[in-house]
Amino acid sequence: MVDFQMWLVRTFARATPVAAMMKTAWGWPAAESIHFIGLCLVVGAIFLFDLRLLGYARRIPIRALHRLIPWGLAGFALTAASGIPFVLTEPDQYVYNPSFHFKMLFMAAAGLNAAAFYVTSYRAATAPDAPADAPPLAKIIAVLSLSLWIGVIIAGRLLTFYRPFPCGPEGPGFLAECLPNYYGDAPR
Amino acid sequence: MNAFFLWLEATALSTWVRESTSVFAFPAILSVHAIGMGLAAGVNVAMAVRLLGFAPNVPLHEMRRFAPVMWTGFWLNTASGLLLLLGYPTKALTNPVFYMKLSLIAIGMWLYVLMANRLEEADPHHTPADSPLIPADLKVRPTFIALASLASWAGAVTTGRLLAYTAHRILATW
Repeated sequence: MVDFQMWLVRTFARATPVAAMMKTAWGWPAAESIHFIGLCLVVGAIFLFDLRLLGYARRIPIRALHRLIPWGLAGFALTAASGIPFVLTEPDQYVYNPSFHFKMLFMAAAGLNAAAFYVTSYRAATAPDAPADAPPLAKIIAVLSLSLWIGVIIAGRLLTFYRPFPCGPEGPGFLAECLPNYYGDAPR
Repeated sequence: MNAFFLWLEATALSTWVRESTSVFAFPAILSVHAIGMGLAAGVNVAMAVRLLGFAPNVPLHEMRRFAPVMWTGFWLNTASGLLLLLGYPTKALTNPVFYMKLSLIAIGMWLYVLMANRLEEADPHHTPADSPLIPADLKVRPTFIALASLASWAGAVTTGRLLAYTAHRILATW
């Protein structure tokens, strides 16, 4: 794990053109704004679809509401495109941040959960003659989806409070410990 | 005004918001504010893109069902926003960007009411056909309202984010 996290930090730190752009006066705040706008799109499409699977707004056909999902994917693309530069610019602030570890785990779980929906329930839930009530498994998936995305938002918001700065032996760490003085030979 | 800020920042609640090291103080308030933002702006986006003609088989009249989700987000953010304001009144109230943010939210909410009225007017028994961009069952084309709504929420979110960078005073004592 130690080797892996040091490799991550060093690899990310090589993205110097991204870091240069992010360190201009508008780079970081602009990326943050895009990140939050993307969040709104994700919530606006995915949360509403999950609520529908749970039986909310039952008169809207699930199949019809699913057409909003591309807006959620577009929102996710915005959050990824604006989020990756944060990590490339200040890798040590994320790679050693327990809140970031949780955020990535929740996001991976949300992705697998969405994949599970498409594998197990999508066809039954969105057939032209599908009943208004989603299958029970789809409802479980919807609850997981809502919980995991709320977890992603909370862990993302908490990032600032768990920054390993100054990085020291008492630094926080969930999957990776904060290593002091590892910069010595890192290309920066 | 500074005397008012000094008094406010000395109150127990303001001090708690600012100085408590509990994760349930400032970090939790910020988290609630982010979730409320997603709900309020998210429902507005969903209604706006529906009014623009996307997801055409969603009955317009039924999009009203998401109004309580919007209001949940709105009130979560009013409450969490008031707490944040109470914690740092000088920081927010001496920053012109804060007033821009509030104005954009006011415009966004006014446009929300207009959009909700359009959805209410839509024929409850008519499901529009699969036509791409213009909802067939509306008397007034709401394209302009929907685009203005998207712009005002993007602006509200952006100015909200910029508050962290544009404040020139943090506390009344500074």
